[in-house]
Amino acid sequence: MEVKILGPGCPRCKRLEQLAHEAAEEAGIEEATFVKVSKMSEILAYPIAATPGLVIDGEVKSSGRIPRKEEIIAWMKEAEA
Amino acid sequence: MFNMWHAFDYVVGLLQGGAGNLAAYLAAHVLLCLLPAFFVAGALTALVPKETVTRYLGRNAPKYISYPAAALGGFVLAVCSCTIMPLFASIHRKGAGLGPAITFLFVGPAINILALAYTGVAIGMDIALARAILCIAFGIGIGLIMALIFRKDDAAHDQQTVEAFAGGPRLHKSTPAVLLLLIALLVAGTLQVDLLTDSYATLTVPVGGIDRFQETLYDLVPFDASKGEEGVTAQGVVLIALLGLIGVSAWFGLNKVDEGYNRWTWVSLGLIALTLVVAATKMIPDARGVDVLLTGKMLAVIVLMIALSLVARRHLDQYEIQEWLWETWRFVKQIFPLLVVGVFAVGVIRGLIKPEWIQALAGGNTVVANLVGVLFGVFMYFPTLVEVPIANMFLSLGMHRGPLLAYLIADPELSLQSILITSTVIGKTKTWTYVAWVTLFSTLAGLIYGSWVDGASLWLFAAYLVAGLATLAVGLGWVRQRQHRRAATASSSAE
Repeated sequence: MEVKILGPGCPRCKRLEQLAHEAAEEAGIEEATFVKVSKMSEILAYPIAATPGLVIDGEVKSSGRIPRKEEIIAWMKEAEA
Repeated sequence: MFNMWHAFDYVVGLLQGGAGNLAAYLAAHVLLCLLPAFFVAGALTALVPKETVTRYLGRNAPKYISYPAAALGGFVLAVCSCTIMPLFASIHRKGAGLGPAITFLFVGPAINILALAYTGVAIGMDIALARAILCIAFGIGIGLIMALIFRKDDAAHDQQTVEAFAGGPRLHKSTPAVLLLLIALLVAGTLQVDLLTDSYATLTVPVGGIDRFQETLYDLVPFDASKGEEGVTAQGVVLIALLGLIGVSAWFGLNKVDEGYNRWTWVSLGLIALTLVVAATKMIPDARGVDVLLTGKMLAVIVLMIALSLVARRHLDQYEIQEWLWETWRFVKQIFPLLVVGVFAVGVIRGLIKPEWIQALAGGNTVVANLVGVLFGVFMYFPTLVEVPIANMFLSLGMHRGPLLAYLIADPELSLQSILITSTVIGKTKTWTYVAWVTLFSTLAGLIYGSWVDGASLWLFAAYLVAGLATLAVGLGWVRQRQHRRAATASSSAE
C-alpha cells in the first residue's frame, strides 16, 4: 500500500503523517510505504484545494483537515481488501 | 571605574525597558483580548471546513461573488500561514483565477483575527479598523488590477474541470454560535464602557504586604505614566504566573488532546478560565490587603465562558472540541514564545533609538514617510504579531499614524521570503508586478488614513475608494467583453 502525505511541511502535515503511521500499525498493514509530497507543483497535481492531503493508493481520501485515526484505519482496511 | 558603573546603569536601564514592555504587553487588558483570539483562530482552523469558502471560488464563479469570497476567505482561512500558499496556488491554477487568488493572498496575512485583535488592543481600535477596511478594499483592487494586466494568462488557463472546488462538507450549524460567543468574549474583555468597567462589589482579600510588593515592583521596573506606560502591577505578576502554569499544564494536557482528554487537559482549561476571570477584575493593594473589584467585565466574562462551554459540549462533536483545542494550543506554541522574546527585545531597543531619528524620517504624513514605513516592513522580517509592539514603539517615538498603518499593512504582506515563495507559484514577472502594486497601495493606505487622522473628511475618501474600485470592475468587464467579441469574430471568420 502506498500512503502519500501532501503538504509543505506545516505542523498539521506532520501531525497527519504521525497519525497515518499509527493507523497503519493499528490496522495491521505490514507493507506500507509512506511518501511525503512537499513540492507545490506536485501537490497541485492532485485534485485538492487545501493541505494537508492524504492519498492512499492514488486516491485522495481527505484534504484541508486532519482526519481521525479511526477514519484513516477504515480507509486503509478498505484499500487493503 | 566611573565609566564602568555608567555602562552598567545603562544596560540595567535597557533591561528594565524590556521587562516593562513585557509587563505592558501581558497586562490584563491585552490577555483578555489575546487569549480569546487564540481560541477564535483555533476554531476557524478546526471547525470551519475550507469548502465553505472555496465553493465560491470555482472556475465559473461570477466576479461579484469570487472577489468578496476571496477577501472573506483570506480572513477566515488564512489564520495559519501554511494554508495560504497551497490555497493561493490552487485558486490561481484550478479555481477562480489570478485575480481572486491575489485578493486572497493580500487580505489573509494582514487581517487575520490575531493580528487584528492585538493591533486593536495594543495600539488602538481606529488603526485596527483602518487596517481591516483598507486591506479588504485594496486587496480586491489589486486582484482586479492583476487580472486586468495579465488577462491573456487567465484566458489561456487550463480548462480541466476540477472537483476540488465542488461541494464538500458544510459549516456545522453551531459553529457560528461558538465563534460569535468567542468574539463576544473578546469584545467584552476589551471594550471600555462604563457598564463593563464599573465595579459592582468589592472583595477584600486580607493578604498583608501586597502593597509593599507592588512598590518593590515599581522600583524594579520604573515607568513613566505620562507616556502611557503602566509599570508592573501585583495583578500583572499573578497573571504572568498563571500564564506559566497554563504553559506547563497545557504541555501535558493539550499536546495530544486530539487523542483524548486527560487530567491535565482539565487543569489547563480551568487555569485559562481562571486567568480570564482574574484579568477581568481590578485589584487595588492597600495596607489591609487587596481590594478585588468585581467589575461588569468580570461578570460578562464568566457568563460568556459558561455559555460557550454549554454550547460546545451540547452541540459540538467531542472530536471537534478536541481538534479545536489542539489547533488553539498549536497556535499558542507557534506564536507566543516568539512574541514574548520579540516584545522584550522591542523594549530594549526602544532605549537605543533616538526619537529625533523617527520624527525626521516619518514624523509627518508625507509620501516619503509612508514609503519609508512600507520599505521597513518589506526588508525587516518579524514573526507574526511582533509587528504590533514594534509599530507601537515607533508610535511612542513620534511616528505619524499614517506611515504607521502603511508599515502595519506592508510588514506581514511582503517580506523577501514571501516574495520568493510567491514567485515559485506565479512566476517572476507577476510577482514583481504584484509587489509594486502592494507597495503603491500600502503607501496610499497610509496616506489616506494619515490625512484622515489630520482631519480630512472620511466620506470624501470613502467616495474615492468606491469610485476607484467601480472603475476597475467596469474596466475589467469591458476588456472581457471585447475579448469575447474578438473571439467570436475570429471563430466566425474562420468558418
